[in-house]
Amino acid sequence: MTTNLIEWRDEFSVGLPEVDHEHREMIAMINTLQLESAGGAEIASVLAALGEIHARISAHFALEEKNMTSLGYEGYPEHKADHESLLDDLRDLMDEVATSRHFDPAVLGARLSAWFVGHFSTLDARFHRRMGAQR
Amino acid sequence: MSFRGALRRVFDLLETLCARVLGPGWNPLVQLGALGWFFFWIVAVSGIYLYIFFDTGITGTYESIEAISRDQWWAGGILRSLHRYASIALLVTAVVHMLREYASDRMRGNHWFAWLTGLPLLLFIFVCGITGYWLVWDTLAQFVAQTTSELLDTLPIFGEPIARNFLNQASLSDRFFSLMVLIHIAAPLLMLLFMWVHISRHARSRVNPARGLGATVLGVLVALALVHPALSQAPANLDTVPATIGLDWFYLGAYPFVVNDGGAAVLWISMAVLLLLALLPWLPPARTPPAAVVSLPDCNGCGRCYADCPFDAIALAARSDGLPYLQEAVVDPGKCMSCGACVGACPTATPFRSAAEFSAGIELPYLKLTALRRELHEAAARLTGEARLIIFDCGRGAASPAYVDGSTAMVRVPCVSMVPPPVIDYVLTHKLADGVLFAGCAEDACYFRIGDRLTAERIAGTRDPSLRGRIPRSRVAVSWAGRGQGSERAADIAAFCGSLRTLPPMTRNAGTGFAAASRRPPDGWPTPLRWAGRIALLAALALPVGAFASWPAWRQLSPDHAVIRLSFNHAAKTVVECRKLTVAEMAKLKPNMRRAVGCPRARWPVSVELTLDGDLLYRGTHKPAGLWEDGPSTIFESFVAPAGRHTLDVKLRDTGRASGFDYEETINVELAEAQNFVIDFRAEQGFTFR
Repeated sequence: MTTNLIEWRDEFSVGLPEVDHEHREMIAMINTLQLESAGGAEIASVLAALGEIHARISAHFALEEKNMTSLGYEGYPEHKADHESLLDDLRDLMDEVATSRHFDPAVLGARLSAWFVGHFSTLDARFHRRMGAQR
Repeated sequence: MSFRGALRRVFDLLETLCARVLGPGWNPLVQLGALGWFFFWIVAVSGIYLYIFFDTGITGTYESIEAISRDQWWAGGILRSLHRYASIALLVTAVVHMLREYASDRMRGNHWFAWLTGLPLLLFIFVCGITGYWLVWDTLAQFVAQTTSELLDTLPIFGEPIARNFLNQASLSDRFFSLMVLIHIAAPLLMLLFMWVHISRHARSRVNPARGLGATVLGVLVALALVHPALSQAPANLDTVPATIGLDWFYLGAYPFVVNDGGAAVLWISMAVLLLLALLPWLPPARTPPAAVVSLPDCNGCGRCYADCPFDAIALAARSDGLPYLQEAVVDPGKCMSCGACVGACPTATPFRSAAEFSAGIELPYLKLTALRRELHEAAARLTGEARLIIFDCGRGAASPAYVDGSTAMVRVPCVSMVPPPVIDYVLTHKLADGVLFAGCAEDACYFRIGDRLTAERIAGTRDPSLRGRIPRSRVAVSWAGRGQGSERAADIAAFCGSLRTLPPMTRNAGTGFAAASRRPPDGWPTPLRWAGRIALLAALALPVGAFASWPAWRQLSPDHAVIRLSFNHAAKTVVECRKLTVAEMAKLKPNMRRAVGCPRARWPVSVELTLDGDLLYRGTHKPAGLWEDGPSTIFESFVAPAGRHTLDVKLRDTGRASGFDYEETINVELAEAQNFVIDFRAEQGFTFR
């Protein structure tokens, strides 16, 4: 039986329905990509999935940044910089796959999950706790 | 070529001239709205200062303004001149602004709102200007008061001719003058409200001109005030008719026609022109491309489209599709201009989504992102050479020259701001081209208001969504050139192609820091030459403002002539005399309406005849005012006569007699040159001559 790369855990929840919804959506997309790539998916479909993840994460970050600026969140510059660097990483990853026409499902999955879990549990959690308190 | 096309060509030429001589950021023709606001504030601030020293009573007005101009020429005098010249500049700016919007076809479709709300502003400007000249109470003010009154008297809304307030010195009172002061203060306040409404559909409206331009324009106006100060003409005297008047041809250019051809003609022509202008947005209606459409499954309400829409056409509304977001973007098709700035701002508008058909959070129905991506691939397939360039061209600026060697391909977009930054990333990292260039309208002259700014800021990394820092900015360029700036466009493209050839193969930019992308290329002119050009051109623009503010003088009365005014307000006898009602007649009336005397209200018309030395000067019959024809009959007629000794014979009939007159008087009069001789009539006194 195949298992999901990332399982949604209650501790991921930040208590804001729209944020949890997008986090769940992203985890589902990463899991699907992992499963498909482990099952020998075409490069094209891996790139399509990465492109979709890139679009959704960009939108997610845009929404978060709007919330941060409207709340006058003091951690905004640091958080925004992390968003930028995560998006750059993701674009690097997409370019690597596109250029090399090769990918290692395990490495790909590990990078994506580390990336997400790291960002969720640190910067995101801090901001969303603050936002939840204000809402 | 159509009239509008020809006008557009004229503006293209002028804008090119201004852009070249004044340099980047200084072109007044692309910031006419902002300059209008600037002039409004100059007029407002100088007006407040003048009001402090202004005597609002008609007897002290002239002296108080003389004191302002002469005793404190260094403050009040300069401010008075600024008040006048900035008012003229405001009028000229507003008219040129309107013509330019017309020439650019920015009045049809959803532009109708700004166009229509701009028209009352023109009226307000005239009301402010005309009442302003009135307040000085010099001979020009006298002419303005009398001619404006005659103009307004052609409207059937005033019970008694307003012109009778300015018949002669004896009829003059403070009351009407105070009303003018009130209008002169209230009109600009109302105008400010309309100015706000006028720009209310524009996001981030530009209400201040570029700082350098504003300061220099103010400096030029101050210089004009010193060299050619605005001064009063001789004090008003209603017993005489000023033969020559220094007219402000901008505000009062139509007044000679009022005097020569009558107020009605000028009023009806002005109204017809206004009506035509008001209908222009629908003559014929624009075929507007469809409005942007939101795809809710791809929209999380991040608000970037809302922030970037140049026309406030996007609102963030409560979520309607059950997804757990708070908001969603909603497009108002009545405001959307289909420029696509929202698509360029949408984070899900990225061509890296590889699905054959996907939708961004917001899309233009007639140019979806997938279609743009297909077009890009087709364009790239045609490219050859070592510096392959893809140009996103909005088609509204200078044409991008086609390169015969096949190294450039043009992709047409409604506005360059429609291109989301990930598209640049996509083109370069997929090696569809070696460089990307945005060819838009002239700087600050974007047809969609701010497309150039949005694009430049996204590329520079100062606006979200920004072009990722990993993309080398050496491979991205902008070219802002209007239709008359073809050579600038060609030079921009050639320079960019040249620099692309020298670049090493593209690699990822190290780090995520943005290269400080400069918004505009460095100024090509040496600083002293640039400043000389700026001052010379702006002074040349100010010259006609100063010149036509009072020159050439207009002669309204030939030498050795006088004016005879026949003017009165007289209620004729009633057609049926009052009589006692009979008992039977009273019984027919309702109990609460019963009265002993019956007085039908209708009056006879008043007939007048005036002869000068035996020659008939005027014969007319004037109906009583009022729906029931029970009001007074009014007469206001002016005649020019040679100065000298004359015999005047005037007759009046105010009863139903079949022939003859009820009043008649003959006088011998010595008319002085430029005299204003008034013939009035009151039932109790008969004719009076002054």
